[in-house]
Amino acid sequence: MRQRSLIAITAALAAGALTLTACGSRDSGDKGSDSGNGGGTTVVIGVDAPLTGDLSALGLGIKNSADLAAKQANKKSYVKGVTFKIEALDDQAQPSSGQSNASKFVSEKEVLGVVGPLNSSVAQSMQKVFDDAKLVEVSPANTNPALTQGDNWQTSKARPYKSYFRTATTDAIQGPFAAQYVYNKAKRTKVFVIDDKKTYGAGLAATFTDEFKKLGGKVVGTEHINPDTKDFSAVATKVKNSGAQVVYYGGEYPQAGPLSKQIKAAGAKIPLVGGDGIYADDFIKLGGASAKGDLATSVGAPVETLPSAKEFVANYKAGGYSEAYGAYGGYSYDSTWSIIEAVKKVVDDNGGKLPSDARAKITEAMQNVSFDGVTGKVSFDEYGDATNKQLTVYSVENGAWKAVESGTYNGS
Amino acid sequence: MSGVGPVEPGEGTRAREAHDTDAVRAPGRTRTRLTEVYARHRRAALALAVAAAVLAGGGYLYATRPKQPPPPEPPYPAQAVEMAFLNGRPTAPGAPPRSFSFEVSLTVLSGPPVTVTRVTQPYAGLWLSVAPRAPFRTKAGAPRKITITMHVTDCGKVPKDAGLPFLEVTLRNARAMQAQSFILGERYAQHLSEALQVACGNGPRNHQNT
Repeated sequence: MRQRSLIAITAALAAGALTLTACGSRDSGDKGSDSGNGGGTTVVIGVDAPLTGDLSALGLGIKNSADLAAKQANKKSYVKGVTFKIEALDDQAQPSSGQSNASKFVSEKEVLGVVGPLNSSVAQSMQKVFDDAKLVEVSPANTNPALTQGDNWQTSKARPYKSYFRTATTDAIQGPFAAQYVYNKAKRTKVFVIDDKKTYGAGLAATFTDEFKKLGGKVVGTEHINPDTKDFSAVATKVKNSGAQVVYYGGEYPQAGPLSKQIKAAGAKIPLVGGDGIYADDFIKLGGASAKGDLATSVGAPVETLPSAKEFVANYKAGGYSEAYGAYGGYSYDSTWSIIEAVKKVVDDNGGKLPSDARAKITEAMQNVSFDGVTGKVSFDEYGDATNKQLTVYSVENGAWKAVESGTYNGS
Repeated sequence: MSGVGPVEPGEGTRAREAHDTDAVRAPGRTRTRLTEVYARHRRAALALAVAAAVLAGGGYLYATRPKQPPPPEPPYPAQAVEMAFLNGRPTAPGAPPRSFSFEVSLTVLSGPPVTVTRVTQPYAGLWLSVAPRAPFRTKAGAPRKITITMHVTDCGKVPKDAGLPFLEVTLRNARAMQAQSFILGERYAQHLSEALQVACGNGPRNHQNT
């Protein structure tokens, strides 16, 4: 009998402990649905980027990040009754391919928004196609000012297309920011300017040159390169003979890496500076050991200083994507999410359903979209440009990009 | 009457005696000893068992208690601060020749207070002073106006036509200390250019900028 009492007491205590434990509330982690299915209507978000070729490292990061945003929205059932789907097309960094892709997206009625492209020159070929169809386009990477502020943006700004938006900062800020750093901080007063003759590269080189001269700097030489070649020895020799203290290159990393290497090999031990187009790990691979000390400006603040980016980085890793999200991953996620927000607004305003003129309504709603994204506060000004204008200067150190200066633009 | 009666002991058999039973069931004897010990120390044993059970239960509960998520870290100071050019101001009294003043606003958008520890500018021919003097603290929701007075030391080394001049501000909050460049836009660029042209074009005298 006594033994039974002892057992009973112990059992009662154990049961009590287990009951208390069971009653305790605790975070179970993910409470959302794993179905990835948000509801009955499917909304397709198109993605246009270079998925093959030299720039595919950046393009695939854009595609994957857009895919992640759509999956997150579906997982959270962010827009009731709507499932988002990504359709990605390869523009191979060619304007003609971009235009064909734009026409294809326009012809598919389920496509209610497009993320992309990477290249400003490709964007130029797509803008009118989208605008005629009132199909909204949000680029995570285009930096040429004319896309939002018109060809005469330096003298009179005029928005050419109301359906075009971007989350990246423009070269109207990026070029001068680089010039200020090179002249004032790096103390280099003689520059040799090279570009690839493309919309992005030539535009960025021009905004850099303009500010560099205003600061008192001297341009000791200029050259254009053919982006289809990798032999820049003739240009490298000209740089060596010019007495330049620094080279500014307007273009992208597939050419910038070999160009940097060949300039140093020619005997000019001077840094090469570029924009977001060279801010890629592949630049360092192509440039080799002599790329040490080369500089790049890139849009946005360093990811490690953005608490909002941590979740994106973790989710991207968990998503199992085989390619890195790259320089524009966060911007691509935010571009996609801005379309999701615009769809949500339109659906909510229409009693939970998409209206018959959904494309036009979504384009209209985009102008007032505002949310806390991966890259900070996401909203657009009267030209369709991002209101969040941050830039960072990176330097190649120990085989990796390291942030050395960060700036915030406030034009108000 | 047929029936089976009690089996009687036959040859080679005998009724078991009490002590024989005990001898066969030796373990029973041990139990009896334990029972006796338990009987003698019943209260102590019970208390020990209860204490052990409570300790085990408590330990389990503690180990598996619902964990509060850590509070979100405050934002980096550069992500929490907005700086904007306001307008020109009368030159600060007692300022040296070739000086001019202007006002900027500093707003902490969110998070803990931010301390401005240093304000500088990157151009070789200029230096500046700030009122209030750094370091000073600004709380979220209470924008602060800062008067900056620039002094030209070498007219040959000033940016008379810079498109996007900026101020360099060192910020500190509970998260980190950061140096951030604030590019104050076209109005600031225009103001700076005009002020520098007047300061350097009119010789070594105070530039009264209003």
